[in-house]
Amino acid sequence: MNNSRFARTAGWLAVPCLVAAGLLAWYVTREPVSRLETHQIAVADIDPALVARGEYVARLSDCVACHSVPGGAPFAGGLEMATPLGSIHATNITPDTETGIGHYSLADFDRAVRHGVAPDSRRLYPAMPYPSYAKLSDDDVRALYAFFMKGVAPVKQANIPSAIPFPLNLRWPIALWNGVFVDAEPYAAKPSQDEQWNRGAYLVQGAGHCGSCHTPRGLAFNEKALDESGKPYLAGALLDGWYAPSLRDDHNTGLGRWSEAEIVQFLKTGRNKHAVVYGSMTEAFNNSTQFMSDDDLSAIAHYLKSLPGDRERDGAPWQYQAVSAAQRLDSPGAHTYVTRCASCHGLDGKGQSEWMPPLAGATSALAKESASAINITLNGSQRVVAAGVPDAYRMPAFREQLSDQQIAEVLTFMRSTWGNQSTAVDAQTVGKLREHTDPASSSPIILQMR
Amino acid sequence: MELRINQKTYQVDADADTPLLWVIRDDLGMTGTKYGCGLAQCGACSVLVDGNVVRSCVTPVAGVVGREVTTIEAIESDEVGKRVVSTWVDLQVAQCGYCQSGQVMAATALLKQNPKPSDAQIEAAMVNLCRCGTYNAIHAAVHELAGKGDA
Repeated sequence: MNNSRFARTAGWLAVPCLVAAGLLAWYVTREPVSRLETHQIAVADIDPALVARGEYVARLSDCVACHSVPGGAPFAGGLEMATPLGSIHATNITPDTETGIGHYSLADFDRAVRHGVAPDSRRLYPAMPYPSYAKLSDDDVRALYAFFMKGVAPVKQANIPSAIPFPLNLRWPIALWNGVFVDAEPYAAKPSQDEQWNRGAYLVQGAGHCGSCHTPRGLAFNEKALDESGKPYLAGALLDGWYAPSLRDDHNTGLGRWSEAEIVQFLKTGRNKHAVVYGSMTEAFNNSTQFMSDDDLSAIAHYLKSLPGDRERDGAPWQYQAVSAAQRLDSPGAHTYVTRCASCHGLDGKGQSEWMPPLAGATSALAKESASAINITLNGSQRVVAAGVPDAYRMPAFREQLSDQQIAEVLTFMRSTWGNQSTAVDAQTVGKLREHTDPASSSPIILQMR
Repeated sequence: MELRINQKTYQVDADADTPLLWVIRDDLGMTGTKYGCGLAQCGACSVLVDGNVVRSCVTPVAGVVGREVTTIEAIESDEVGKRVVSTWVDLQVAQCGYCQSGQVMAATALLKQNPKPSDAQIEAAMVNLCRCGTYNAIHAAVHELAGKGDA
């Protein structure tokens, strides 16, 4: 009697459990509906103007940065991205039918770019910034498809399988992540804002995927906000040993002291009187932002300047205090500054117009996060190539010349002079980053995001 | 653009970000200033701008328009520079000599600003590299010039 009641109860419970499991299985393996399902275009008929338009969208989206390796064929994939679970590799997105995406329909392509789902319903890792690309317009996705099908040379190069072990390599849980963190709707213009603002918002949130680096991430590696409705949006984040600063109107650590024209100049030429691109931004500049039209850059600047700062996070507004580093020779680090840094950055910390960036008032000197200051001192800057011309001046690497202690002291000096008031840097922190950014290290930096 | 170098005025046609060193050596043919590392690390390219020592390999030429540049070619027309060179000769400081024009510029700038520098100030100012290792001779020369005798 008892047994049969138990069996009956269990039976009644099993039904909803099975239904739930069935629903879950359907949800995590389903092929999302593409808005372009019925819009397939025959590759043979693709108009060259659409290919050109798509090439520009590919520049905006900086596809080449991840889907190529130095010296390799463009878009043939292969770039290794280390994660705490094992490495993954960017894939071949040339139109090769066997190893690339030559067999993709427009809808397949759309699902990969805007939904993060490959044709076999396999979920892509969100290292592919589809949470941002989801905002792309139908027209831009169509143009991008045209470019990749007809504007890119097919390359036969097999993809490298991920090194993540079973069961962590199961992709279906990503569908649940997507359900929680991704809003898969194209950008909708805000009628309350003007056309330029909306274009800027579209570029920054969508193709430009600025938030991938500049927005802090939550526990699940999700960007804490995907547009201006969230306060953490573009508020600055630590990523792979660099601190991507705030792009909001923060006086000290953001764009508060930059005019719209100066933002345009920075993205177009890689430098302005406030800063020079370095760290990961060098790649974004070399491959992407300098190719954007002046109108698009102005729109980006206009949108960014509309994001309010946060005085509480940013601290008291920085003001220049005149002092020569040579007058402070008794403070630790000053001697190193005078002999190693001052030739370019000046005894007064003001740099040399747009050629050598100032350290007085620099974001890296004012942000609490010292990662960028340490990283560039250890490893120097990469080559900035503007309009095909390599830069005349570059930050050298001091890895071999200065000890952890010397770097800690000189950065502490730099972060507490000329009105800069930020946290001291200790030798241990320098030592850790030295180890993590050493190419020969057994513990290279891995997907450090917060 | 118009440059003032060694009390003379030159017209040069160069991009704003061209390093001053290239203009001095390649465009104007004054080859006493040397190219060492190109990264402001060695000091072989040191010249004076308004009496301050700068490393011309990292000085965009546009930044010295309207200022007075002095190179090794004219250092002896400066009273302090003349004394520095003569002490350098007396103590036979140079070996291969490649870095020495830069060393002389650094010493001159130091002594022009501060005729009696302290040891710490000398140490902070005389940081140019010398692959021959003439540091002891440089040290002795600067101390002599600072009125400290052989240190």
